[in-house]
Amino acid sequence: MELKFLIVDDSGTMRRIVFNSLRNLGYNSYVEAADGKEALAKLAADNSINFVITDWNMPVLSGLELTKAIRADQKTAALPILMVTTRGIKEDIIEALQARVNNYVVKPFTQQVLGEKIDQILATER
Amino acid sequence: MSETKQASNLLELFDKLNDLKSVFKYGEKLIPIVQSLIDFMNETVPLLENINTSITDSTSKIPKAAHQINDVTAATELATTEILDIVDMINIDIDTIEKDLKSITEKEKQKLDIILKLQNAVKDNSIALSLLQKYEELNSEYKNITTVLTALQKIKNNSYHITLSLQVQDITSQQLSAVNHLISGVQDKLATLLVDFQDTKTEEFEDRKIAAPQDAAFNPNAQYGKSGARQELANELVKSNSNNGSRTTQDEIDKIFS
Repeated sequence: MELKFLIVDDSGTMRRIVFNSLRNLGYNSYVEAADGKEALAKLAADNSINFVITDWNMPVLSGLELTKAIRADQKTAALPILMVTTRGIKEDIIEALQARVNNYVVKPFTQQVLGEKIDQILATER
Repeated sequence: MSETKQASNLLELFDKLNDLKSVFKYGEKLIPIVQSLIDFMNETVPLLENINTSITDSTSKIPKAAHQINDVTAATELATTEILDIVDMINIDIDTIEKDLKSITEKEKQKLDIILKLQNAVKDNSIALSLLQKYEELNSEYKNITTVLTALQKIKNNSYHITLSLQVQDITSQQLSAVNHLISGVQDKLATLLVDFQDTKTEEFEDRKIAAPQDAAFNPNAQYGKSGARQELANELVKSNSNNGSRTTQDEIDKIFS
C-alpha cells in the first residue's frame, strides 16, 4: 500500500524540509496543512491519507489537540501519528505519548531519524 | 463673682497660655522637619516626572522593537525559502546531469562492445586492429564519469544537509515569538504603571499594543543543537511506552530516569 502523508506544520519551511526528507526516503505522496484545524479538514476530505506527521506548537489547533481529535474519531483513530516538534522535555514527550502519538521526533531532526521512526511505526502497524 | 472664682479662671487661662506656648515651641522644632519634607518633595517630584517620562518613552518604543522582531522573522523566512528554492534547483540540475551522464555511460559501453566485436572480426588485419585498439583507448575516457557521478552524489548529500540545517529558521522564529510575548508582558506592566501615574485610561494604550499575533504558537524552550540528547530521551520514553503496552504514567517514567 502506498503511503500518503499529511504534513502538519505552521512553518512553510518545515513542511518543505519534511517533504524533502520524505522524498529522499522514497515517499512521494503527501498533502499539507498549516494547523490542526486545517489538518482535520484535509483528513475529512481525503480518505487516502494514511500517515500523519505533525508539529506541536501551531495556532488555531495544536498538534496535541489534533492528535486527541484524531484518536477520538472512530474513522481516524487508528491513523499512525508521528510528532515532530521542538518540545524536547520529558513532561512534553510524556504528554504526547499519553495523547497516543505513535512516535516522537525532536527538531532539528535528521533524515535518518525521520526514516527510522516511520519504519518503526509501520513495523508496529503490520 | 467671688474672688476665688476669678483666681481660678486666671489660673486656667495661664495653663492654657502655657499649653499654647508649648505648642509654639513644638512647632518651632517641627518647622525644620516640615521644611526638609517639602525640600524632599521638591526634589522627588522632578525625579518622578523623569521616571514617568522614561516609562512613557519606553512604552512607546516597545511596539517598534516588537515590529523589528517580526520583521526579522519575516526576513529570515523569506531568505530560507529562497535558499530552499535554490537548493531545489541545484538538485534538479544535478538529477538532469546524472541522468545524462548515465545515458552517456550506457552508450559508451555499447560502443565498447561494438569495438570488441570489430576487433574480433578484423583480428587478421593488423592495421585495422591497431586502429581499433587506439580508438578503444580513446573511448575509455568515459570510465571517469563514475568519479563525476560520485562527486555529484556528494554534492546532492551536502545540499540536502543545507536543507536540514534550515530547520534553524523555525526554531529561531519560535524563540523570537517567545521574546515578543515577554515584551508584550512588559508593555502591559508599564502601561499599568502609566495609568497610575498619569490618571490615563487603559484604552489609550490599546492603540500602542504590539503587533505580536495573539494566537502565535511557540515553544520558549526551542533550541537548535545537534547533540541528539533530547531525541535519545524521546526514544527511551517511546520505547518504555511501547514495552508497557499501555499508556506510560509519569511515575513509571520517573522510575526509569531516577
